[in-house]
Amino acid sequence: MKDILPRFAASGVLLLWGVLLSYFYLSGRIASYLHPAFHIYTIISGIVLLLLSISLLLTLPSKPPEQAHSRWFSSGGIFSILLLTIPILAATKLSPGSFGATAILNRGMVNNISDLPGFSTPREPELPNPDGSLAEGTLMDPSLYLKKNDAGYIAAETVDLLYAAGDPVMREDFENKPVEVSGQFFPALMGNPDGNRFNLTRLFVMCCAADARPIAITVQSNGSLDFPKMTWLKVRGTATFPVENGRHTPVVIAESVTETDPPEESFLY
Amino acid sequence: MSAPWFSFSLPDFSYAFLSVLLEGLPFILLGTLLSGIIDQFLPSHLMTRLLPRNAFLAVCLGGLLGLVFPMCECGIVPVIRRLIAKGLPVSSAIAYMLAAPIVNPITALSTYAAFRGQGAAEFTTLRLGLGFFVAVLGGLAVLNLPIGAVLKKAILESVTLGGPSGEHATSAKPFPLRLIGAMESGVQDFLDVMVYFIIGAGVASVFSTAMNQEVFLPLSLDDRLAIPSMMTIAGVLSLCSSSDAFIAATFVAFPAVAKLAFLVFGPMMDLKLAFIYSAVFTRRFVAALAIGLFVIIGLLCLRLSVILP
Repeated sequence: MKDILPRFAASGVLLLWGVLLSYFYLSGRIASYLHPAFHIYTIISGIVLLLLSISLLLTLPSKPPEQAHSRWFSSGGIFSILLLTIPILAATKLSPGSFGATAILNRGMVNNISDLPGFSTPREPELPNPDGSLAEGTLMDPSLYLKKNDAGYIAAETVDLLYAAGDPVMREDFENKPVEVSGQFFPALMGNPDGNRFNLTRLFVMCCAADARPIAITVQSNGSLDFPKMTWLKVRGTATFPVENGRHTPVVIAESVTETDPPEESFLY
Repeated sequence: MSAPWFSFSLPDFSYAFLSVLLEGLPFILLGTLLSGIIDQFLPSHLMTRLLPRNAFLAVCLGGLLGLVFPMCECGIVPVIRRLIAKGLPVSSAIAYMLAAPIVNPITALSTYAAFRGQGAAEFTTLRLGLGFFVAVLGGLAVLNLPIGAVLKKAILESVTLGGPSGEHATSAKPFPLRLIGAMESGVQDFLDVMVYFIIGAGVASVFSTAMNQEVFLPLSLDDRLAIPSMMTIAGVLSLCSSSDAFIAATFVAFPAVAKLAFLVFGPMMDLKLAFIYSAVFTRRFVAALAIGLFVIIGLLCLRLSVILP
């Protein structure tokens, strides 16, 4: 009997974790935390934990006698149970599903493409393939990033404009063209002598939110704009790439800046 | 305008904490399920029969096991815990534990991809080579230590007494009961390791969200400061070894040797791992391992700055 209560507690802890992992996957909340490549592991783990939880209870009668001294929660009994349950429940409740201004500021914004994780300089273009497509590994096909929306604006991501700033061919594709780009508002902390600039940021993720790097482009508006930090905005305007601090910098000259809902994909990959 | 070096936000902390847990848990679960299978189905004599009798060779083999059995740093602790109980010498287990997150095909490929255009082949070779070398040094250092100074009391008992689910207990059992035993062992390991993982993820999340990372930038100008700074950043960020190279490559202000130190030290020791290691090793040993790795990797990278500018 001595083993039964801790065994039930272990089953309960596994059940809680299994339910939470399954919930994160099935509700879609997982997309705010992990790279899509890791989503499947979450639901598999959730199911495995649920199965283990049930199995612990189902195998109770057939437990061999020598297992009666199993050491559940050997790290510290009730303390372990509390540690295994309270923090995950509290974090699930408290976590907003995105970083706030404090973490963005502490991590520092990437506004130079060479600082972006995984960036490599594009190779010089080779001759096209026989079917006319671009050779693999050379410059990106412009049709992938020059899609226009119904209003005639190129639907761009902040990372596209950051890439364009660092690549002459891509820069030519965007320069002085109408673009629509979404991101989160963050006041410009430098390079804003007229007070009419702000940063438009998105999180770039390799594995999970813990390694997220905020990438930012500059938006220049007619006057000073003051949204709460991290407000989601949709900016329509003209893409420009002036040379500032010795390098081309993406600056969108805004025609309109409006609040918008967060996108379905909160990260850029 | 500059931000303070430390500013805590509970929502940011909760968000980072949860993402670390969600990312790491599947790998810990995999490791603990594997540990349960090892516990019930791996005969002890197999381990001693396969390992070379020469201690140095056994440690070297431990350092290379990751090539065949790749494990990430989160999942490896429950595996080595059971392998030790099954007769793997602690020195070989330490070498496997330290090397496997680095000396494996996945980490090699990600490092190569992350450093394209920055001497990827040389950098990847150096990372794997240095990782192996340091892991073997770690294993050899343990050879001369009394086992009681390395392993926690509960783990030590399972080694010296054969444990409650030792060879004699398991070999006579029918298959279904061994399967149940594997599940129980795996769940026990999972619950044990998760306690330490949660504490480690919490501490790492505090620092990764609240600490202004720009405070490290002025240290990038001198190798002697850049190398320990990058190792400290690696310890604080507690990244996964399969993707840390992509992050390291973005520290453009830092010299290559400092990035190398980041990529070798991080998978062997960080805030999260220090707590996970505590599930198997004594606190004093974990502290000594952390200091030893910091000093050895730092000195070796400083030495390597001659060939890696």
